[in-house]
Amino acid sequence: MQEKELSNEESLKLINRMIYEAKGYFYESGVSALVYGFSILLCAVLTYFDNKGAIHFPFAPFYIMVPIFFVQAFIQIKENKRKKAKTFTDEAIDFVWTGFFLSVFAALCGTFVNAGYIIITIILFLTGLATFITGAIAKFTYSIVCGILCLLVAAISFFIQNSTIYLLLAGVAVFVWIIPGLLLRAYFRKQHG
Amino acid sequence: MFKDLDPILHSQLRLAVMSLLISVKQAEFTFIKEKTNATAGNLSVQVQKLKEAGYIEVIKEFKDNYPNTTCKITSKGIKAFEEYVNALQQYLQVKK
Repeated sequence: MQEKELSNEESLKLINRMIYEAKGYFYESGVSALVYGFSILLCAVLTYFDNKGAIHFPFAPFYIMVPIFFVQAFIQIKENKRKKAKTFTDEAIDFVWTGFFLSVFAALCGTFVNAGYIIITIILFLTGLATFITGAIAKFTYSIVCGILCLLVAAISFFIQNSTIYLLLAGVAVFVWIIPGLLLRAYFRKQHG
Repeated sequence: MFKDLDPILHSQLRLAVMSLLISVKQAEFTFIKEKTNATAGNLSVQVQKLKEAGYIEVIKEFKDNYPNTTCKITSKGIKAFEEYVNALQQYLQVKK
């Protein structure tokens, strides 16, 4: 691109083209979603079998999420550093998921008063809401539909206040994090060779 | 009465840089170079002019031991860009 004066029409065309280029910028490897999704899936399945007495775990399997959380934060920071531009969409989605994690931590306080399976129901609602908003911001129909289905699963979970609720959580992990993570990973590999 | 088009913005590369920066929170120099297909030298000169006009903020820092330049539009830049687009639209409406 050279340094030259433009006609008014050319100026407007250039503005449109550059705005389109900038808004189309996207950098997401999908690793973060995959790590989180597989961890939730593993913890939920282990907890289910632990509750059923099929296996015996020395501690609640969800404690595995504590180191995973730090690993995921590390991956996220590294990915943010690799981004050449930070879009407003990125920022909004970051806020949504930060809010989600803080809300999940708040909900987990219920374990201190033995709130029971209702905590998982709350987590399912939070997951559905965060997924729906992410889909709406990113204009990603899959996430919008997934968010609505997740809210439906959360409503159903009120009637399943037993260890089966962990299988619902495992299913949600597959649809909310693992499948989008794999899609993002495939797209990222295609883009970056 | 038509407003004069801002001479700082009424040039291809500077307008391209401003249009990119208005759509993102911040962008690295390499990103702008890639999207505008400009040479590093020319882009540096135009970025400097925009910075001197107070339209963008230029942040120089180190990233993984390499110097890295990030650009961000300022509120003055946003206002100037909006006025420029409004003026352009006025000109084009009269032409129709």
